[in-house]
Amino acid sequence: MRLALLTGFAISLMTAQHAFCLDMPKGKVVLTISGHVTQANVGDTAQFDLPMLEALAGRSGTMETPWTEGTVKFSGPLLRSVLEAAGAKGGNLKVVALNDYAADVPFSDAYDLDTILATRMNGAPMNVREKGPLFLIYPFDLRPETYNEKYFSRSVWQIKSIEVR
Amino acid sequence: MIHAAHASGEVIRKAGKSTAVLQVFAVILLALLAWVYSDISKRYAELQDGIKENALWSVYQLERESRRFEEELTRMILTLDTSDAVVEKLSLRYDILYSRMVMLDQARFEYYFSTDTTVQTYLQTIRSVIFANAPLFDAIAANSNPDMQGLELLLDDVTQMTKSSEQLLNYSNNALSIARAENRTILSELARASMLLTVLIIVCVVFLIYTLRRQLKNVREAGLSLEAMARRINDAYHAAEAGNRAKSQFMATIGHEIRTPLNAILGMVELLKLKTLPDHVVPNIKTIQRSGEALLDIINEILDFSKIEHGKLELEYRTVNLVTLIDNTIEMMRGRATDGGNTLLVDMPVHLPAPNIMTDPTRLRQIVLNLLGNAVKFTSNGSVTLVVKERETSDGLRLRIEVRDTGIGIDTDGMARLFQPFSQVDASISRKYGGTGLGLTICKQIVAAMNGEMGVDSVLGHGSTFWLEVPVEYAMASGPATSEAFETLQPSLPRLDILVVEDNLVNQQVAMQFLKHLGQNVTLAENGAIAVEVAASQHFDMIFMDMQMPVMDGIEATQMIRSGTGQCANALIYAMTANASDQDRERCLQSGMDGFQLKPIKLQQLHELISQSQSKIAIADKVESDDMSPRAQELIAVIGKPAFDGLVLSFFDDAVLLLDDTCAALKRADHIGMDACLHTLKGAAANLGFDSIAHKSQALRGAWNDISELNALSDMIDESRKHFVR
Repeated sequence: MRLALLTGFAISLMTAQHAFCLDMPKGKVVLTISGHVTQANVGDTAQFDLPMLEALAGRSGTMETPWTEGTVKFSGPLLRSVLEAAGAKGGNLKVVALNDYAADVPFSDAYDLDTILATRMNGAPMNVREKGPLFLIYPFDLRPETYNEKYFSRSVWQIKSIEVR
Repeated sequence: MIHAAHASGEVIRKAGKSTAVLQVFAVILLALLAWVYSDISKRYAELQDGIKENALWSVYQLERESRRFEEELTRMILTLDTSDAVVEKLSLRYDILYSRMVMLDQARFEYYFSTDTTVQTYLQTIRSVIFANAPLFDAIAANSNPDMQGLELLLDDVTQMTKSSEQLLNYSNNALSIARAENRTILSELARASMLLTVLIIVCVVFLIYTLRRQLKNVREAGLSLEAMARRINDAYHAAEAGNRAKSQFMATIGHEIRTPLNAILGMVELLKLKTLPDHVVPNIKTIQRSGEALLDIINEILDFSKIEHGKLELEYRTVNLVTLIDNTIEMMRGRATDGGNTLLVDMPVHLPAPNIMTDPTRLRQIVLNLLGNAVKFTSNGSVTLVVKERETSDGLRLRIEVRDTGIGIDTDGMARLFQPFSQVDASISRKYGGTGLGLTICKQIVAAMNGEMGVDSVLGHGSTFWLEVPVEYAMASGPATSEAFETLQPSLPRLDILVVEDNLVNQQVAMQFLKHLGQNVTLAENGAIAVEVAASQHFDMIFMDMQMPVMDGIEATQMIRSGTGQCANALIYAMTANASDQDRERCLQSGMDGFQLKPIKLQQLHELISQSQSKIAIADKVESDDMSPRAQELIAVIGKPAFDGLVLSFFDDAVLLLDDTCAALKRADHIGMDACLHTLKGAAANLGFDSIAHKSQALRGAWNDISELNALSDMIDESRKHFVR
């Protein structure tokens, strides 16, 4: 019990530290946020490895999507906590995939909706063949009205970078 | 007229039919429309539901990734560069391509895409290339250097794959375009169908409105024509009614006209019979009498029938002693029965459950006489039995009367015709036995009016039984039972002063001689006016009044005598007329007559009237008719006349004392005492049925200070007393 409390305290301290300065990624970089970021850690970009992202506040949701068979559980950090961690300031995001596919996502999608940068599908990390490593997932389970082509085109997978504008 | 009605009916029926057809039509159209709209909405729902990944985009991406992978591979083979960065880049391209393929396998696309065999063939080619090389790239990912020769082999496959994906892209694009066009065609067809249906419905509604308007017009016209027809029918009905009235009037007049001379004939015959006649004349006289009586029966039957035909048969219920009524009826028929050599028997229990019943005695006797008459007529040297029974049922008391004869009997066909007007069993019967053929019809109608039933059982050659059953009510034996008894002629009839008012000379003679034969003092008046004059100056106990007379008729004369102050104001007045209708009877009683005797009057009836009148005159002389209240009658019935008289005398004695006390109280201005006296007086008067005295006393209780009113009351009591003790 005491241990749990201490751990919680330690995590909150770490989070507070992140607000001031982003850690350097220790593993393979999976996301690079460029543009208007105040918490840059590599050059003028904010770079994340998987553990850094999974340490951020997130959610998991079980849903059907047009790209998967049956119901699937996606989990990962909330887009807005990632943006906060990077100290991103602006109105628009350009989300770029490994195949150079790019979609414009407004900030409001991050703040008004519980959109996540899914790192795991059914609890397992996603590799490139399984549309990994990051998949922008809109809350189709919480907000059925988002289940349409407008949000489908913003649901970028195999994300490699985000440009903040 | 019937044709017009038929045409109107036809119009309405036709209108109804066309409306029904239109309604069915409209309902079918509406159902079709509903079906089309549901189909359209289902398709839209499908569209909404089918939010799916864009197949064309995915194919395009696959083709693009395939091409990029091919480029990367080609460059690597050409440059022979197997550095980590290049290998990793190739590996990434492969992974992306792999993910694209998985995507195409897993994602939800439009229906046609996943079922099209051409698409599946292309996909199979591409899939086999990608998946077959998965182990190779798994090895590369595990840091083993790629084998150049293997990669060159791979390039051939990949080139093939790129071509396939390009073909798939083209094919998909075409297929999607076609599908989109088809979808659009279906939708536009649906829209056109619904439009057509809407137009049809509009046409139908317009047609419906038009038909309804036309129908409305037709129905209105039909209504008008029916109305006109109803008017014509009404007119025709009134014309027929007027004709019928004229016929009734004619019947009544003829009846009267025939009855008057018949009265003379029968009267004269009766007078002749009173004389000692030579033996050879007696049969002739009897023949005249019988023929006259037969003629009278016929006229009565015809008049009765016309009455029944007009629904004017009215029954007059009175308390009747059944035993007396049956005895009298049998007596009347005995002569005729004996003439035909028949025995007349009565089968009636000695102790009937209700010897006194409520019924119309005249009509009941008429029926029994008719049945007995028929039985006697159609039986010779046999027997006729009258059976009388009373039976208690759940609905009350029922009287059953049967007349059995041993006569000629009736066959089945004859029985069916029996109760039809103007029909007899057959024509030979009419020739042999005569008769109007109305008797049984009338009987049946009367029985029906009494809510009873009537029928016949018969065996041809063995006799017939005519029966009737009517509901009757118990009556109190103490009530004023109508005595139907024919008292034997008593020599000791009272000698009354009788006024006969009659204009017909023969009838005058008959009446005068009858009455003189009965030992009465008879005065004659030739018309109503003379009668009023004579009655004013002379006292008569009884007046026989003809109805139709010159100068003044019987009704008016009766009213004048009754309202006058002459000595005959309280005399018994009997109408003596051949007029037989119920209205006439009603008018007579309203004018103040005491009774109604149909002409021709018989000696027997006159005798009866005079002997009955004795008691009535006595009562009329003693107590004013006003004072002979129901209460007084009730008291007499309960305590007897002598006791009642004693009570009345002591009442008058008390009344004088009470009046004196009242006067004294008035003088003392003792209102309470006066009121008490008047109250006592009122109670005593009411108790004995002196209603006018009671009312006056009660009225004075409010006007206590008026001495003149008190004197009026005193006079009133004196007057009653005088009447009573006279």
